Amino acid sequence: MRNPKVAFCLVTILLSLLSGAQARIKLVALPQRGDTVIRLDNLTATLVEEERILTLQEGLNQVDFSWKGVQLDPDSIRLRIITHPDEVNLLNVSYPPNESALVWQISSPRAREEKIRVSYLLSGISRLVTYKTLADKEETKVDIKSYLVLRNFSGEDFEAARVQFDYGEAFEKDIRNEETKRMLFLKKDAIPIEKTFTFDAALLPWEPERQSGNVGIPVHYVIKNNKDSGLGEHVLSNGKVRIYQDDGNGSAIFLGEDNADYTPVGDKMKLYLGDSRDLVVTQRQLKNNKINIVRNSRNNIILYDTDEVIRAGIENFKDQEAVITIVEHISGQWDMEETTHKYERKDANTLLFRIKVPPRGKQTLAYRFHRRNVR
Amino acid sequence: MRKLHFFLLVLLIIIATTAQAKVDLVTLPQRDKVQLTIYNSADLTLVRESRFLTMKKGQNELQFSWANTLIDPTSLDLLPLKMADKIDVYDLTFPPRVKDLGLWHINSAVSGKVPVEISFFTSGISWRAYYLATLAPNESTVKLEGYVLVTNNSGEDYANAQTRLVVGKVHILDRIAGLARRYPPYGGRIAFRDEADQLVALEAEGLYQKKESRGRRSFAAKAVLSRPKEIKKEGLSEYFIYTIEGTETIKNGWSKRLPSFKQDDIPVVNLYKYEEERFGRSVVRFLSFKNDKKHKLGKEPLPGGLIKVFRKLDEEAHLSYVGRDDTKYIPLGEDVELNLGAVRDVEVKPTLMNYKTTNYLFNASNKNISGWDEEKTFSVKVSNYRALPIKLEIRRNFPHQYWELSKAGDFAKYEKVDLDTVEFTLELPANTTRVFSYLLVTHEGDRRHQRQ
Repeated sequence: MRNPKVAFCLVTILLSLLSGAQARIKLVALPQRGDTVIRLDNLTATLVEEERILTLQEGLNQVDFSWKGVQLDPDSIRLRIITHPDEVNLLNVSYPPNESALVWQISSPRAREEKIRVSYLLSGISRLVTYKTLADKEETKVDIKSYLVLRNFSGEDFEAARVQFDYGEAFEKDIRNEETKRMLFLKKDAIPIEKTFTFDAALLPWEPERQSGNVGIPVHYVIKNNKDSGLGEHVLSNGKVRIYQDDGNGSAIFLGEDNADYTPVGDKMKLYLGDSRDLVVTQRQLKNNKINIVRNSRNNIILYDTDEVIRAGIENFKDQEAVITIVEHISGQWDMEETTHKYERKDANTLLFRIKVPPRGKQTLAYRFHRRNVR
Repeated sequence: MRKLHFFLLVLLIIIATTAQAKVDLVTLPQRDKVQLTIYNSADLTLVRESRFLTMKKGQNELQFSWANTLIDPTSLDLLPLKMADKIDVYDLTFPPRVKDLGLWHINSAVSGKVPVEISFFTSGISWRAYYLATLAPNESTVKLEGYVLVTNNSGEDYANAQTRLVVGKVHILDRIAGLARRYPPYGGRIAFRDEADQLVALEAEGLYQKKESRGRRSFAAKAVLSRPKEIKKEGLSEYFIYTIEGTETIKNGWSKRLPSFKQDDIPVVNLYKYEEERFGRSVVRFLSFKNDKKHKLGKEPLPGGLIKVFRKLDEEAHLSYVGRDDTKYIPLGEDVELNLGAVRDVEVKPTLMNYKTTNYLFNASNKNISGWDEEKTFSVKVSNYRALPIKLEIRRNFPHQYWELSKAGDFAKYEKVDLDTVEFTLELPANTTRVFSYLLVTHEGDRRHQRQ
């Protein structure tokens, strides 16, 4: 089971005996694989560094390295002399025909044990990050567990390899070819969350009553990756997050899952849980009239404004107060004339209204604006 | 040299103890309880099981396999319920070239029995709600009976499980049936394949049945108690949880119907609607009530489901079938409007009685017509041929927002719905016909902008 396919042959022969490509002699001494590091910090390829002790003879030495059946990038192979880099030299590298192999020619001034480090890019070995979070019954905080899923389909077995991720401590792991391992990587408890409800007028239907199914209002948990939240030590990798909630009776329910974005320190992770059907937003346009009309000499309209009124009724059927963000979009050049609620300008054409709706209550948002139109 | 390993080979029968169990058993740790949390907005069930595992001090290996079930291996979790600081579940390994099997590696600082919880998702168990409504002979009240039907097509028998049903719309990224069939569990050398593609392939192979095509099988509700079981209901986050009293045994392939609630004498309004753009020229009947205390409801939101409405004809309780509707989820305090379809015994006939144009404007330079008003007088005849009083809502949509509505003769109450829609509401006694009229003035061309 555990015979690595990345094979090493140390062939020590005299220079005079070296008679071309056919003269590749198999296995004289197989140096044991020493410390191995698997670096999973790059998403496109995995860097493997392995150390070996070579027993070198005085003069020229040939070291055979082959990788049959292993997804290795041959151009990425590097050999570094560790113990005596000034004296031991890599002279050349040759590649035998039709084989996944190479031969290093190494010179040494005397017979000695020499530590070398071989590194190469290996594909087919990769990692995923997944999360499992448990919210409290009040939905004010979550316990976060992050798992590292190591998947090895590279063709190579690794024993006691040091696995190094983008962040955190390296750990030792055996990982055989075609094996998948899931490990707990990060555990943080009682991380504060903000629960949000968002109605985006550009994404959801305005008259839910007329839809055949319920129109849910998207619900998110927002987690801040910073020190105040008890996080902020490193980036939170992207990955699937499954969110559960304590039901207060010693059990839990599954609330939903989402793909978390790559969240650097200081940024927010926004997780979509599902839709609330206990909040209903009905939006209507009540007015859209042309005003301030300017005509040219031929009496054609060249400039006008529109006087527009939007009204949105927000009903909360929950027993708890809900703070909902209503996202409205006004394209072009516009001026707000009247509004029942304050808003924040997210960008030139996007307005955010944060509206508090009491339990089992209703709020009405209405705003009137003028929009400039040029013909 | 390799370190000494202590292998605790515990093959768990996670759920079943019957002959159909898919897992062989070496040592059955004492089983405590099983809990099923079944969703209906997605093909998803959360299974939680507690058991006692006999741990050895040092390294323990626990094998778990799930061949021929619909378990999502990426959802597998094992949590010590006690001594959590002394028991380190340090990895879950899916070994090479072995399907449907996982190995938990556990480092234990203690030896002896440890209670653990194993949880995972499975697909193939579903539930749905449906209702039977019975109108009183005078149609002023309705008796409403709600049921839940739980169906198990997961490939496993579930014995003595605490069963919870989740009302709500959960967001999931991948279908659990797809994850259950995926090998290796987290995908192979290629990044995650598209779930949809995978399911298409599985459906073609007949390995995965769509929820819809699974059919509604015969159900058998065995009476365990001398009275029907009660269902406890409570809200959690954006969901409502129905917990069925006691435990349930639901064998693979079987369904089970449970009564959810029953309420007599709910006052209802016989509401009729007319809107040409939505329903054509027919009047559509609605049965309207509210999910609140005043209507003897309001204890829980009502999950969406098919409702069949009957009418009690006489004291001997002969019934007549009125119609059916697929209801939406109805929150607490929300209005319910059951659409029972087009009727012939209530009629609405709008007729254009007069048409004229006025207030012409002319272009100063070329003398062409640049604006005018249109005046339309409509007479609306509404007839209730039923022996009951009814409420009627008539919506009229206008071509644009430049209009004025005024009275012309008998007039019904109206309100502006949005910039080009008005709604008239009337209450009509039994067997009556009424006519109301309105004058609609619309402004065309430059007349739209002249008057501000």
